[in-house]
Amino acid sequence: MNDDYLWDKTGQPDPQIQQLEEILGTLRYQPKPLALPQKRNYFPLLAIAASLLLALLAGGIWLRVRSRNEAPPQQASIETPKPKFEDEPVGTPKAPVNKSAVNPSPVVANNRRRNRSAPPALPKREREEALMAKEQLMLALRVTTEKLHLVHTKTQPNQIKNQHRVG
Amino acid sequence: MYATADMLLTSTQAPAAEQSQEPAIEVVLVRAVLQGDREGFSRLYELYAPLVHGILLARVPRAEVDDLVQDIFLHAFKKLHTLRDAAAFGPWIAMIARNRAVDFYRRSKETVEINDDLRGSEPHDSRAAEILELIRSLPEAYRETLVLRLVEGMTGPEIAARTGLTAASVRVNLHRGMKLLREQLGFMEGL
Repeated sequence: MNDDYLWDKTGQPDPQIQQLEEILGTLRYQPKPLALPQKRNYFPLLAIAASLLLALLAGGIWLRVRSRNEAPPQQASIETPKPKFEDEPVGTPKAPVNKSAVNPSPVVANNRRRNRSAPPALPKREREEALMAKEQLMLALRVTTEKLHLVHTKTQPNQIKNQHRVG
Repeated sequence: MYATADMLLTSTQAPAAEQSQEPAIEVVLVRAVLQGDREGFSRLYELYAPLVHGILLARVPRAEVDDLVQDIFLHAFKKLHTLRDAAAFGPWIAMIARNRAVDFYRRSKETVEINDDLRGSEPHDSRAAEILELIRSLPEAYRETLVLRLVEGMTGPEIAARTGLTAASVRVNLHRGMKLLREQLGFMEGL
């Protein structure tokens, strides 16, 4: 047996090993290109997320501006009554100021907030405008959701394709 | 006797760099891939696909080998960041291939008929399949080394460099495996 030929193919070739190499060489690896998974492009997702955020922000600002414009008549109705000590005689010493009368308690503040959030009595035209704006906002949100869903379904099949079939 | 020798030989693994003829090309390539160079991984694939193919061919049905090679490299591509020593890419991917071969049988619960898959249509293919079957009947350490040498055409030093085994281990595995294969072949021709 020629050790060198078996070890590093040097020296005198061993006919039996050569024959084996020839026969078994048919099973040798045949180069095939490797299909690496494609790089994920996060730009569409980011763009959609950004537009969604922008729409939400715009909607929030719009709602806030509208509610602020409608606020004054509401504030008038919840004015706290003035303290009575102004009617007292001049000579009498001033009573200590009741803090709770100046700074309304949390309960009062909560009531005020609740009152403000109550649906204002809008004129018919403004109400229709508000409803239309709401509809537009909802439509924009729906479109954005659909786009997100589309992007999600487009990115999913790549992962499935690269999974190995087993058994 | 051989089983003990197998255990001894497979456990004496040394860094691949000791025997490597290529000046740590895999280190450069692994680093490039980790920095986002996908072409680098294609180069690693070209270098190591025969090794993975040989390891699988010594263990799983031939029809499954090509798919498994692709699968292993895709797995390696995803998990490359977990490889601590870039110089150990060869032993690392060889280990993935061995584990995947074990998984293959665990998942398919040994229902695959190996002999049918191995039979080729050409007489030459049929003879190759028979010899491969004989090699597969040898102890694991011998069959892998023999397949890499006789099927994939790698030399002993190349096998040592790529698998991370010592040159001495590969040499012993080759000679003992070849001796056993000759005996088996003589027995087969005598029938």
